[in-house]
Formats: sequence, C-alpha cells, structure tokens
Amino acid sequence: MRRLRQGASWLLVAFVAAAASTARADGDPARGEQRFADCVACHSTERDVNGVGPTLYGVFERKAGELSDFRYSPALRRSGITWTAQALDNFIADPQKLVPANRMPYGGMPDADDRADLIAYLQKASK
Amino acid sequence: MATKLKEVDAVIVGLGWTGGILAKELAAAGLKVVALERGAMRSTDKDFALPNVRDELRYVVRHELMQNTARDTLTVRNNPSQEALPMRRLGSFLPGEVVGGSAVHWSGHTWRWTDMEFKVRSLYEERYGKNFIPEDMTIRDWGITYAELEPYYDRFEYTAAISGKAGNIQGQIQPGGNPFEAPRARDYPLPPLTPILAAEMFTEAAKNNGYHPFPRPSANASRAYTNPDGAKFGPCVYCGYCQRFGCEANAKGSPHIAVIPIAMRNPNFELRTDSWVTKVLKDSDGKRVTGVTYTNVLNGEEFEQPAGMVLLCAYAINNVHLMLLSGIGQPYDPVAQTGVIGKNYCYQTGAGATLFFEGRHFNPFMNAGGSNATIDDFNINWDFDRGPHGFVGGYNMSGGFNTVLPIGYRPVPRGTPQWGKEWKAATAKWYQTAMNIGASGSVMANRYNYYDLDPTYRNAFGQPLMRMTFDYKENEHKLGRHAAQNINAIAKSMNPTRLNEATARTDPWTVVPYQSTHNTGGTIMGTNPRDSAVNKYLQSWDCHNLFLIGANVFVHNASYNPTGPVGALAYWTAEAIKNRYVKNPAPLVPA
Repeated sequence: MRRLRQGASWLLVAFVAAAASTARADGDPARGEQRFADCVACHSTERDVNGVGPTLYGVFERKAGELSDFRYSPALRRSGITWTAQALDNFIADPQKLVPANRMPYGGMPDADDRADLIAYLQKASK
Repeated sequence: MATKLKEVDAVIVGLGWTGGILAKELAAAGLKVVALERGAMRSTDKDFALPNVRDELRYVVRHELMQNTARDTLTVRNNPSQEALPMRRLGSFLPGEVVGGSAVHWSGHTWRWTDMEFKVRSLYEERYGKNFIPEDMTIRDWGITYAELEPYYDRFEYTAAISGKAGNIQGQIQPGGNPFEAPRARDYPLPPLTPILAAEMFTEAAKNNGYHPFPRPSANASRAYTNPDGAKFGPCVYCGYCQRFGCEANAKGSPHIAVIPIAMRNPNFELRTDSWVTKVLKDSDGKRVTGVTYTNVLNGEEFEQPAGMVLLCAYAINNVHLMLLSGIGQPYDPVAQTGVIGKNYCYQTGAGATLFFEGRHFNPFMNAGGSNATIDDFNINWDFDRGPHGFVGGYNMSGGFNTVLPIGYRPVPRGTPQWGKEWKAATAKWYQTAMNIGASGSVMANRYNYYDLDPTYRNAFGQPLMRMTFDYKENEHKLGRHAAQNINAIAKSMNPTRLNEATARTDPWTVVPYQSTHNTGGTIMGTNPRDSAVNKYLQSWDCHNLFLIGANVFVHNASYNPTGPVGALAYWTAEAIKNRYVKNPAPLVPA
C-alpha cells in the first residue's frame, strides 16, 4: 500500500495543484508518531496540558478555538472550523492559507502521505 | 539584617547557559543546588508566543530581556587617563537579565574555538618570532587544548540543537563544510538551515574568489529535534525575529528549553528568581567561600545563602564584578602589572558592506539567526600568512541577514539624505534589493584594557560600579583594514548596482551603537596563580570551592562568537566537579 502511494506521488502533486486535496484515510500511525516530532515542542496530547499550542487531546470533532484555558488567535476563533480529519489535513498542509493570521508558528507539511500518517497517529493519541 | 538560610551543596549565581548546564548536571549527581537569578522567569508559552513577541519597541529599543541599567551598569572610558562615565542606557552590548540569560535573545551562532586560540602565543612566536607580538599585548596560551574540549563541544552542540555542516570529521575533510575547522568526532545533530538568497550569492562569489564558504553553524533547529536529555525543539520558521527576541517556535537552542526545565524537574534543584547577588562570602582565613548574600529585588529583603560551593554563572562582566566586590583575588593594576582580577578584558571588532542589486528581491524579513554563509580563510586558516599584514588574530566573513528588523533596518546607498521625502523614496526603492557582507574580528588582550571598581559611581545596592577601560589598538586597526579591503573585493566582484563599502573601525570605541555581546576576560584561566584567576577547570586559585564559568575566563577574544566554548567549558567543569571535586574537595591543579 505504501509503495503504491509513493509510486503515485507525482500524480498526487499534480492533482493537489489543481484542486483541494482529499485527506487520505489510510495513514500509518507508527510513521505518524515520527511526523508528530514537528508538533511536540508546542502541543501535548494529554488532557488539560497546554503548551505554546493547545493540547490536542480530544481535538477531533472539537471546534477551533474552543478550549477555555487557551488563548487563541481571533482568526482561529472566528474560523468556524470543526476539526475533522479533512479539516486538519487542510490546515496542516498550509496553516496560513486555510486560516490567515492564525498564530501557529509552523510553515506546513506539504506531503499528503506525511499528513495522512500524522492524522492517523493523532486519531489514536488524542483519545 | 540578612536572613540566614539553610546551607546547600552548591549555589549558582545566574541561570543562563552555564548555570543551566551546571544546575542540571549537579542536581542529577545528587547535590542540593540553588540557583539565584537576578531576572524574572520567562517561558515560550507565557512570554514569547505570537503575536506579542513581535514587538521591536519592547525588545529592541527598550531592552525588555536585558540588564536594567537603572539598577546596575558600568562606567566606561577608553584609557586610564580619562574619567569614566556611567553607561545609562545599553548600547554596545546587551547582557541578559531573565531565566535563560543572554541565550534567550541570542542568534545561536555556535563555533568551536581551536588551538589557534588556546596556543596563541606559542604559535605566533614559533612562526613569526617573539618581536611580532607587541610588548603591551598580554596574550598567553590558555592551558587547555582543543582535544580536551572536543567531547564537551560535541555535548553542547547536541544539547543546543545546532544545525550545520561538518567540515572535518576525524581528519576527513567534508565537502560543503568548513575545511579549516579542527577534527570533530561526528557531524552536527541537525543539517544546515535552508540558505537564503543573500547567503547563496555570497557563497557563489566567495567560491569564485578562491575561498571556502560554508553554512554557519547555529542553534536554530533546521528540523524538529529531541536532544539527548529529552528536550524537544520545533523546526525554525525563519521568522526574521531571532536576535533580541525569545523564540516563538521552541526552535532556538536556549537554556530555558534545553537544560533548565530538566533541572527544574529534579527535586534537588531550586530556582529563586528576582534575586540579586551582592557578594560572595569568604571564611576567616580566605581559603574557602562560604556562600553568598543576595537581595530580593521585588521587596528589598536581604538573605545569606550558605553553600559548600559557589558557582559564578552570571554574564561575563557581572562575574568579574562580583569577584572585585567580594575582594577575592588581587585586583589587576595596569601600571605595576600586578594582580589578576580585571585583567585581559577583550571585545570584538568588525567591518561591513551593504550591496544593492536593482531588480533582486532578498526578502529580508525571512531568515533564521544563522542564515549566513561564512568563510574562515582569514580566521582559523593558519596558511593565511599574517606576517605581511602585521596583525595577530583573524576574522570570519559572512554574507546574509540576521534579524533585519521591519522598522530599524533601512538600507539606503550612501549619500541618501537621512530624512524627508528623498529618504522615504530611497528606503522604499532599496529595501528589497540590499544584502550585507560583514566581518567579525578578534581582539587581542592589551595591558591597558581592563576592569576595576569605579571610584565615584555606585549601583542601586550602594556598591561601586564596574569600570571598563577599553579601546581598539593598532593590531585591531590593521586587522579591520585587512577585513574591509577583502570584503570590498568580494563585494565588487558581485557587480552590485550600488555599494556602501566597508571601512575599518579605527575611531575610539564607544558604547553606541550596538556592536556585540561578546565581552570576554577579567578572570582569565591559566596554568598558575601569578597570571590567571582560575585553573583549567575554572576553579579559583584563591578559594578552591569557587568556580567561575563563562567568557570571563577567556584569555583573549577570537573572531568567533563565544558561546561554543562557554557551553563546552560548562560541561567540562561539571564533569570535573562531579567526578573529582566532590570526592576530594581540594585544588584540582596544584598551584
């Protein structure tokens, strides 16, 4: 499966350029844990433990800007996003593109496979 | 009357890089450690999160993270015949005053100083003869070697998340790295930062001129990273606000990320912030120290903290000041040339050019603290013959940007009016088109550059201010002229539309504008108590349970930024204390 995905990655790049991507549902959570290294300096997955960023505990199906004990940017609070796998995929790909003026200091994860893996990991780790 | 507190095994004065490293290491070894930090607690989530950290007025103009000169400052003068006056506003250098110290607001440039510094006198005398070194140039060999420090440089680089490209791994020269560097056991923990256009253009030009450019090693994590102690770093986002700011992305190798939280989790360690140490106390025969006195700066309350060991880990200037205030060791006298405390104060010199390329877009708002390409052909390259140029030392040269601020950075060609309509038009026209080439040069120790206590001015605690006597000497003027000439030669080879040429710094030194926070010396290391304050383990010759850790032990100042050896020496001293001193509390080197 992985080989197949990598083999088709050039096609995917071309596709992404043409239209918004659809989040892949078949990510590898073990690889995703390694991708989470990009996030872990600021985000925990433990309940009530906020860092520079809000905790990702229970992030799926939460509304953006919802935690009362974290100070979000106005942009994120007003975004109207509910964090589904698809919404997270769009956000992580290019955070400033989806929510301009949000305050997360992260340039984005351009590779769709990396994002699928990361989201698969988060689906386990955020529970 | 000071409240006397319960004795601890070690008291650390100042919690920046060196204090943080010593705190973590000694607490882990089972010692009860208290750190006294004059500044407040600072953390990424509470203090450096976006958008508040992007405040040029607060951090650059009003020096939020730096020493409060209303409480304590220095008096300065160029030579002993002048009357020194207080520096009432920070300018030329910016000592930190928060948990994390100056390493909260540093850019992260991290170098390995080599035997070219540690054996400076013997190398130059051997090659050029004794007369090559001027009589008043008080340089000496340091009494330590690169080989001894190599494992500790490595330890520091892996702790602080250094991004870079090795040039010499175990004697094998590595393409793309610095070919002049001393052999290292392994590569940096992280690959180099993504180069910016200005660095790429400098790299190309340097190569075309026959030099050896390489990416500058820097504590800006090029990728997410977990250090050997488990501290986690995010990837650098090239935000353009590195120097003088805390990092919003936990990507800068700073002690409040890399070492201090690990010490804080250890029950053997306690941090007291807002605690200004006024004196190191000696026992009745003066052979040992017994603790420190300090004042809580929030309410004026005074305390005595007894300790089995005192570790001075404050900013280099403040460590020397405390020694003079405490009357430990003999103060240096430049006329009689007796004493050691205050001796060999050194600084750095430099030169810089601005190149304008019409039609290019350098995007100066995007860069990391270390987004420069550098050449060391005139620095640690011993094949570069100083003989014809008549100077000791060297300079590294780099092209790129570091924290060129949206308000403060206004490059315009020379001759542009400094205000008004024409200036406005010029700054709009040239902002995107400019890049810099700069050199940072060494300063050799001189008999008349030193510290002592000011006879007139006092700080908020009623103690004499530190007096700094400093100026650049002919050696540094020669080096500066050489650097300016070579910068201009490379710059012209790049055919810029306009060029603000580099000129050597030959006017007397002043406290404005900002130059560099690389103040060294004052309590120098050496092989005997006659001409040094500490031995190679940074242990005081006078009181064996007192250690002085920081650039204050440097015998002279190199072209390189000082943090690499400062961090390595902190680990080196921690090892000596843990493995030797604790078991046998005595001088680690016979006097």
